Amino acid sequence: MHYYPFMRLLLVEDELDIQSFLRHSLEDAGYQVEAAGDGKTAERLAIEGVYDILIVDLGLPDQDGISLILRLRQLGVKAPVLILSARRSVDDRVRGLEQGGDDYLTKPFALAELLARLRNLLKRNSPPGNEATRLRVLDLELDLLRREASRSGQIIQLTPQEFVLLEYLCRNAGRVVTRSMILDQVWGMRIQPDTNVVDVHIYRLRGKVDGVGQQPLIRTLRGVGYVLKDR
Amino acid sequence: MSSRTGEPIMRSAAWRISLWAALAFACGALFVFVFLHRFVADDIQRRSDAWLSGEVEVLGDVAERTPKDALYGRIVGEVAELAGKEVPNKLSSDSSSNDSVFFLQTGFDGSLKLWVGTGNGAPNLKAIQASNILPDRPTDLHVNGFAIPFRVISLRAEDGSRIYLGLSERDELRVLRSLRLRFILLWLLLVLLGFGIVFFTTRRMLSLIREITEAASRIGHSDLSTRVPTTERNDEVGHLARTLNRMLDRIESSMHQLHTITDSLAHDLRSPLTAIRGKLEMSLSPAESEQAESVISAIEELDRLTEFLNQSLDVAEAKADALRLNPTEIDLDDLFRVMIDLYEPSMSDKGLQIKLRSGGPLKIAADEALIHRMVANLFDNELKHLPPACTVTIQLKAENDFASVVLEDNGPGFAPEVSPHLFERRVKGRESNGHGLGLAFVDAVARAHGGTVTACNLDGGGAQIAVTLPLASKAAMPS
Repeated sequence: MHYYPFMRLLLVEDELDIQSFLRHSLEDAGYQVEAAGDGKTAERLAIEGVYDILIVDLGLPDQDGISLILRLRQLGVKAPVLILSARRSVDDRVRGLEQGGDDYLTKPFALAELLARLRNLLKRNSPPGNEATRLRVLDLELDLLRREASRSGQIIQLTPQEFVLLEYLCRNAGRVVTRSMILDQVWGMRIQPDTNVVDVHIYRLRGKVDGVGQQPLIRTLRGVGYVLKDR
Repeated sequence: MSSRTGEPIMRSAAWRISLWAALAFACGALFVFVFLHRFVADDIQRRSDAWLSGEVEVLGDVAERTPKDALYGRIVGEVAELAGKEVPNKLSSDSSSNDSVFFLQTGFDGSLKLWVGTGNGAPNLKAIQASNILPDRPTDLHVNGFAIPFRVISLRAEDGSRIYLGLSERDELRVLRSLRLRFILLWLLLVLLGFGIVFFTTRRMLSLIREITEAASRIGHSDLSTRVPTTERNDEVGHLARTLNRMLDRIESSMHQLHTITDSLAHDLRSPLTAIRGKLEMSLSPAESEQAESVISAIEELDRLTEFLNQSLDVAEAKADALRLNPTEIDLDDLFRVMIDLYEPSMSDKGLQIKLRSGGPLKIAADEALIHRMVANLFDNELKHLPPACTVTIQLKAENDFASVVLEDNGPGFAPEVSPHLFERRVKGRESNGHGLGLAFVDAVARAHGGTVTACNLDGGGAQIAVTLPLASKAAMPS
């Protein structure tokens, strides 16, 4: 489950409630977490230690989160940053940081999404390995070049959109993906429809992937999202 | 809203103002001239009348004292001819033939006794006999063969004969004519000059106002930081610019205050929501337990609450024209294809069909996140309210400077009780389980972008929602 053992993470969040549950969940996910409640402490910790990734809340008591990030960048901190924002509109400066390789997440968020975004940031920052042309999860196999999926050697007929969705699930096999993550990554939209549009897509995909008599791979975690089983 | 520079000049206010000003100026000048003309004409006539009565007296005197012998005609004739050379207002050009003056003496029987002037005097005598000329009162006399009348004065000599002295009004009329001609030329010149001056000054003034208008219209709903150009001048235009800017200051500050309120409201609600959601999720994690069901529904409720919070703050800001926008170029054709791809399975599960009629790329400059949510709201609305076996048709096209999106369905249409209030907050049909923000949000987003939303029931059954959004123009795109 833990692909990045002992990743050092600096969590900058002033709300103690949020700080404590984030620390627990992140430690559960295998991160070594240091937490700071304000910008000054964060700056000190960032200089003293070396971190692989940072989580910074925009609304800090002593300074603006973005100024803190820019200050840390000046001090030579190169680790990617996941920005947490309780603001309503996404600031231009956040967009700037996003283009610079950082990411943002608006509160409230699903833990699964937070973890997924952290993994993405770390992956982006690690040296690119050989991009696989095939993905394999148990007996499910995806040929990324020919855009073909097969299970136990049997070709599954998928629409292009279904293939993208299945590819996304396979890349995150064993981990929870939420509806909003799917909407963001597969359809490129940060929306919250109040209808079950994503569920219907997953339901159809499941009908094709999990045939009669086969072990069901796509599992629904109600209230959370979906997971593609990898064992 | 914005004035175009390509407008024909004759429709500008400056043109109309200068036209009226020139008209008033021309009328005024004409009135003054008519008055002066009368004055000058009267004065010239008074002078020639004075000359006539002076000369006729002299001639009468001479005629009386000269013995009535053979030389009489010659002496009086010469005196009359001499007098003719001292005619007032006489133009130097005609000197040789003196046809501007005549002298005529009749005997007491009315026959022609002595004639000095051009011709034989017969028509003059005829004209004199035809009209009743009173002594010592200059009178206009039209003589056959002369285009211009004579001014004639008469005198009764003591021997019963009558002396007539006539002076052609030709020179007088010529003076007046040249006066009129010069006036008309100068008058035209002045009117044209006045028109030009008024036109250019008002145009300059109005162009300052137009600059202010254009700047003010550029200061859109979301960008309140710029100001209209001000001038150093302390006139009305400068005053207008400064007043506008002060007003913008106040609007900006109240807008800022509204943003602070909604932001802190959002922040204060979201932080506890985040903590609650996190804790709920953590309590859910290892395996599905007895309480899992209630925790899951709590999380789902929480997500609904969050979305409701987002949308109601957006709608509130939009109602106050204070929605913050981050415009980028969006292709509506692309977006609707992706959305249909996303919604099609849910729709066909419900027995609904969806059709897109589009004429290719349709680019608008808009806030991507808001437009995405707006379109999702439109689709959610159809998905939730249509009964099975209905068809939704979406038509995309460019109309003038707007992108038009028309959603039509053949369902039951809007319920009559909600129809008049579709775009108000918390309005929903009886069977709706939404929070009643959907169409209010669509309206809010469209209006924040300078577009419109209309909704109506179609004649043949079904509902229609039409959204217009301004097309992306290169000038409006952020660089």
